[in-house]
Amino acid sequence: MNTSGPISFELRNHLSELATLCEKMEAVGQTLGLPRRCLFEVNLALDELFTNIISYGFQDQSEHFIRVRVSAAPDMLTVVLEDDGVAFNPVERIPPDLPCTLDECKVGGLGIHLVKNLMDEVTYERRAGTNVLTLKKTIERS
Amino acid sequence: MEIVELKEGAVNTFKLQGRLDSNTSQSFEKRLMDAISDGAKNVIIDFKELDYISSAGLRVILKATKTIKRQDGKIMLCSMQDYVKEVFEIAGFDSFLPIVPTPEDAFKAF
Repeated sequence: MNTSGPISFELRNHLSELATLCEKMEAVGQTLGLPRRCLFEVNLALDELFTNIISYGFQDQSEHFIRVRVSAAPDMLTVVLEDDGVAFNPVERIPPDLPCTLDECKVGGLGIHLVKNLMDEVTYERRAGTNVLTLKKTIERS
Repeated sequence: MEIVELKEGAVNTFKLQGRLDSNTSQSFEKRLMDAISDGAKNVIIDFKELDYISSAGLRVILKATKTIKRQDGKIMLCSMQDYVKEVFEIAGFDSFLPIVPTPEDAFKAF
């Protein structure tokens, strides 16, 4: 079992950075020896949150950086996501009505619904003009 | 992401490979919606080689399913890896989308 200090990286507010996020998380997965499924779920949660931040978070045209910090205890992965976009607390979002029929089904809010279901804990703080989201995920090693 | 499109008789199959996310969903949406507006009614989406899907990918499949239903068509999904299937289940999409184990099972449904 590998444990190590926090691993940090930054992503620009551009959709193409999703590929960078995936590469970085693959490397984190290797370093920490994360099971495939755990890595997939954390990747998906970060993808949804990152896509939301860059789609709705910034009202100017300048470049922004989204900071990701990953740390692991033997059975718990913690990921902190920070951005300086408009204040947005995804934890407060009302979940979509599920299950739904095809006609009723709306995709709004689905990303955050996935995040809440895939992670064990999601907490939000607004700290000095920064959105700070902390995700916790139990590492289930088979 | 790679998309291989096959037409066998009255069935259009899309084999997806790689990652279906916000970056790649637009090109898949275009291919799928083009086929449907060209009259495709029996569509199979084969997930065997798909490693990853996000809500952007779910959104494309939902839109295509609603559109094809209006022209009395049907979309079958097959060969999903467990963790991809889990995403459909959490989203509640498995309640109205047929997900079957193999392409043969999907063919039989038309």
